[in-house]
Amino acid sequence: MNDTDLKYLWQTGNEQIAISQKSDKTSLDKLTKRNVSHFLSSMKPIKIFTLLVGLLWVFSIGYVLIKLTINAYDQVSLYFIYSAYFQVMLTAVAVILYIIQLSTLYSIDFNKPVVILQKTLIKLKASTLNITKILILQLPFWTTFYWNESMFKNGTLPLFILQGAVTISFTYLSLWLFFHLKFENADKWWFKLLLQGKEWEPLITSIDILNDMEEEVGSDKD
Amino acid sequence: MAKNNLHQTFHEIIEQHKGLLFKVARTYCGNEEDRQDLIQEIRIQIWKSLPKYDANFAMTTWLYRISINVAISFYRKYSIRRQYAIAETLPPVIDQLPNDLQEKFNLLEKFIAELNEMDKALIMLYLEDKSHLEISEIMGISVSNVGTKMGRIKEKLKKRFLNHKEN
Repeated sequence: MNDTDLKYLWQTGNEQIAISQKSDKTSLDKLTKRNVSHFLSSMKPIKIFTLLVGLLWVFSIGYVLIKLTINAYDQVSLYFIYSAYFQVMLTAVAVILYIIQLSTLYSIDFNKPVVILQKTLIKLKASTLNITKILILQLPFWTTFYWNESMFKNGTLPLFILQGAVTISFTYLSLWLFFHLKFENADKWWFKLLLQGKEWEPLITSIDILNDMEEEVGSDKD
Repeated sequence: MAKNNLHQTFHEIIEQHKGLLFKVARTYCGNEEDRQDLIQEIRIQIWKSLPKYDANFAMTTWLYRISINVAISFYRKYSIRRQYAIAETLPPVIDQLPNDLQEKFNLLEKFIAELNEMDKALIMLYLEDKSHLEISEIMGISVSNVGTKMGRIKEKLKKRFLNHKEN
């Protein structure tokens, strides 16, 4: 089958399809309503819940911490207060990134060349990975907030060794993941192990498509 | 553009280019329900993008950009359903064609459905008789790259037809 045959086949078949098509008289009002409901339905309950919990956490814990700093700074453990500050700050950064990501996703202009827009969209979606990395940085602070001066004065060697091992390993793990959770490692076993599940499937698919597109653009440079 | 004018322009565009929308949807969706959803998604994006339409580009270039972008994003979002869609055979919508032509058309659609998202768009534009320059404007890749990729995709399709004939 040559090029002309292929084009003839496609065009003849599609002429018949066009004839069989009825006009879609969906009103603009219905379309606009559908647009809003589409936006809300794509905001899965789990995403809304995560966002609300994140905001509630940042504001409530942040408020308590500021109150404690102002009114009872000498009475609370500094390990507790600074660990909590770092934890809340990192959560706040993640929440802000998440809101920016969602709002950018829904205001994107589809009138862009296909490869360019799709790359932008995929990279934006993949920024979920950056949010995860920010949250992972919190890990070490969950191992230090319960430290206090009395622990250092009265603690035993095994306690220090255990505590030190836990904090150092959590710090190492969070930093290692922070620097290694990226596209290039999507085919590694630990990446798949960490990011398995339905929530991550679209991201993994996106990474594959992005790699295909990098090839498209890459061959432009050849 | 006044709002009433915008409404009228929108309806005229949709009416005039309904075939284009349907062809994109049929290229990317295997089942009727998905196809109708996709067409509505495309219409929403056309409506949202209409105030930003740049008259320097041909209307069809603009419409293809939006339609293909929505189609690819739509199917990425429903990646699980997509797997089923590829496996499905597109329902024949034509009964006025001679049997052998209808069979070949169905095969062509089936083979196109097996291609990846980018190749589907490229071959659809080629079969629509778009020039390499227009395709490069729609897709955002160089004209020479369009030529190279097109040659590869056409070869793939021809091989599929040949293999099917031999079997």
